[in-house]
Amino acid sequence: MIERLFREEQLQDPRWYQFLFGNILMSPLWLVARLYLGWQWLQSGWGKVTGDGWLNEDGRALRTFWERIVVVPEQGRPPITFGWYRDFINFMLEREWYTWFAWLIALGETAVGIALIVGAFTAIAALFGATMNFNFMLAGSASTNPVLFIIAILMILAWKTAGYIGLDRWLLPALGTPWQPGRLFRLIQAR
Amino acid sequence: LNVWLLAAGVAAWVGVAIVAILMAEWGEPVLGFFPMLAAVLVAWAVGEYVTRVVWGQRS
Repeated sequence: MIERLFREEQLQDPRWYQFLFGNILMSPLWLVARLYLGWQWLQSGWGKVTGDGWLNEDGRALRTFWERIVVVPEQGRPPITFGWYRDFINFMLEREWYTWFAWLIALGETAVGIALIVGAFTAIAALFGATMNFNFMLAGSASTNPVLFIIAILMILAWKTAGYIGLDRWLLPALGTPWQPGRLFRLIQAR
Repeated sequence: LNVWLLAAGVAAWVGVAIVAILMAEWGEPVLGFFPMLAAVLVAWAVGEYVTRVVWGQRS
């Protein structure tokens, strides 16, 4: 029965999809999107690194933000929609995790920005960026997060070409993928 | 593998990162974008030239 329902057949992507996400001709388009995304992250992260309340003052800025978003007002909607996420923020707040989490956010945003700008491990950087966008949205902060999240998802889909005009042009052929080792690993295996 | 070429390439991309941070420090969200873009394009174009012409490798 199961064999009738499901069969061994590899489905192919349409030509337009292959062209958009896997063709080097599209790399200039992805460069613009990647630099825009990276620039947004770098500005945000660098502002935190050099500003007050993130890498100093025991993460005061993050603590203030967490304290504000966990409040459930008597009237109107709370900033956080999901109760489990509010519990999660409360959990971290009670344990004073903002002291090190503020470092993680400030340095993480800066690192994601730089990685996207130089095009190093673009898809991985975009994935970390998307994770942060997702969390900021869950925390009730819309801002530019929905737009940045969509661009990051597109960047992940275009992982083969998004960093071509960047360091990935050399990193990806050298390192390869788990299913296709690159030049560096072939060199090591040959020895 | 030419170690000097590799070191120069790494230095060039570290330079791009430094330009990007300097632009972020400058705090001009629109004007700061273009020097960063130029740095990426120059580093990539020089790297591409060296890889293809000097190193003689296509990809």
